[in-house]
Amino acid sequence: MTVAMNPGAGASAAAPEPEECVLRVTELWKLHQLGDEVVRALADASLAVTPGEFVCLMGPSGSGKSTLLNIIGGLDRPTKGTVIVDGTDTRSLTESQYAALRHDTIGFIFQSYNLIPFLSAVENVELPLIFEPFDRAALRQRALDLLEMVGLAHRAGHPPTKMSGGEQQRTAIARALIGDPRLILADEPTANLDQKTGATVVRLLRDLCSRLNVTVVAATHDPAVAQEASRVIRMEDGRIIGDPASHDATLEV
Amino acid sequence: MIGYGVRYGLLSTRRRRKALLLPGLTTATGAFLVVLVFSLAPAVRQQAAAFGHADQVFRATLLITILVLLTGVVEVAVCTTRAISQRTREIGVLTATGVARPSVAAALLIEPMAAAAAGAVAGSVLAVAAEVALAAAGSLSASPAPEATGLAVALAIGVSMVSAALASILPSWRAASRPPIHSLSHGG
Repeated sequence: MTVAMNPGAGASAAAPEPEECVLRVTELWKLHQLGDEVVRALADASLAVTPGEFVCLMGPSGSGKSTLLNIIGGLDRPTKGTVIVDGTDTRSLTESQYAALRHDTIGFIFQSYNLIPFLSAVENVELPLIFEPFDRAALRQRALDLLEMVGLAHRAGHPPTKMSGGEQQRTAIARALIGDPRLILADEPTANLDQKTGATVVRLLRDLCSRLNVTVVAATHDPAVAQEASRVIRMEDGRIIGDPASHDATLEV
Repeated sequence: MIGYGVRYGLLSTRRRRKALLLPGLTTATGAFLVVLVFSLAPAVRQQAAAFGHADQVFRATLLITILVLLTGVVEVAVCTTRAISQRTREIGVLTATGVARPSVAAALLIEPMAAAAAGAVAGSVLAVAAEVALAAAGSLSASPAPEATGLAVALAIGVSMVSAALASILPSWRAASRPPIHSLSHGG
């Protein structure tokens, strides 16, 4: 049974020192105005993530996990609260500065893969860096190496339309890793995959990120993802109701 | 950075050739009429003068050409908006991965510009071929002067490119400036 946490727990949610964290979220709120009604998507959420962790945000649809992920990645802005990514307080960042932070620090994995249909697998992997003055041959080699790591070297020239869901998500993992990010944000990475493929993909993600020392925060309601995580944070109605790293939260028993 | 956006735009334009068909065709029609009207204007004026209505006929033809051109500009704008709407998710991925706004906008601008350039050149070539055929068939009282044809071709290509740029800059910039979450969640 789950017991709600102390509402004021946000500020003291995480044990590690701020400088040890690759991500620190403090008292985050997101409210949506829908006509006369104010909908609370996120309420007083706080968490801290240290380098190398594989953190899983679990909860039912509408629990706020994707909203939290989107705000961490700067795809959406909070109503109130603080997000510190790799030592950068994002509150004062402009859209361009946040884009630069995403480019340098964050990799994204989406539920529906979001690969570009007219690009081949290797071009999709290169995508985040092809707008930069990198050596093209070195970039191509790095993309091919990543495709090999995800077991898709033989599919490098194939467009996403000719690939299975699992292959597309593995390509998306390679794309997320191309810029040597410190943090990967994965939103429902297995939701469009069957159970077996989903388990393989999430194990691959965990192993690769562990090998490359990349931190992962994944939003999911798939127990297979939670099984691979080093920490599971439970969410409900926009609140964090269980976090093993929090002193105040009461975990599911 | 913008140079890399242009490079990506050229790549996507090559891979999305089918999307160029409609705006290219519209621009080609406009360019065809512009070249014909402007290069044949002296001959048309000469023939109309025989009936005593040289100025009226020329003004009517000019008006039709301007209307065709305006329709072409609107069509290019509609095609750009449609292409951007089709590419919403792609734009979301680019902005989510931190690609700078000017690079995204530059990449989006290439497609309508390429369609306009290809359409204008094709339309002009067809118009010149039509003039040659008409002259050979003896349907023209006077062959169009090469200078007039050259000027008409330059005008058709120039107007098409400028119209495409003007019609596409704002939607491209707006799409590149949209928050990534909107592009990712509303993209098809």
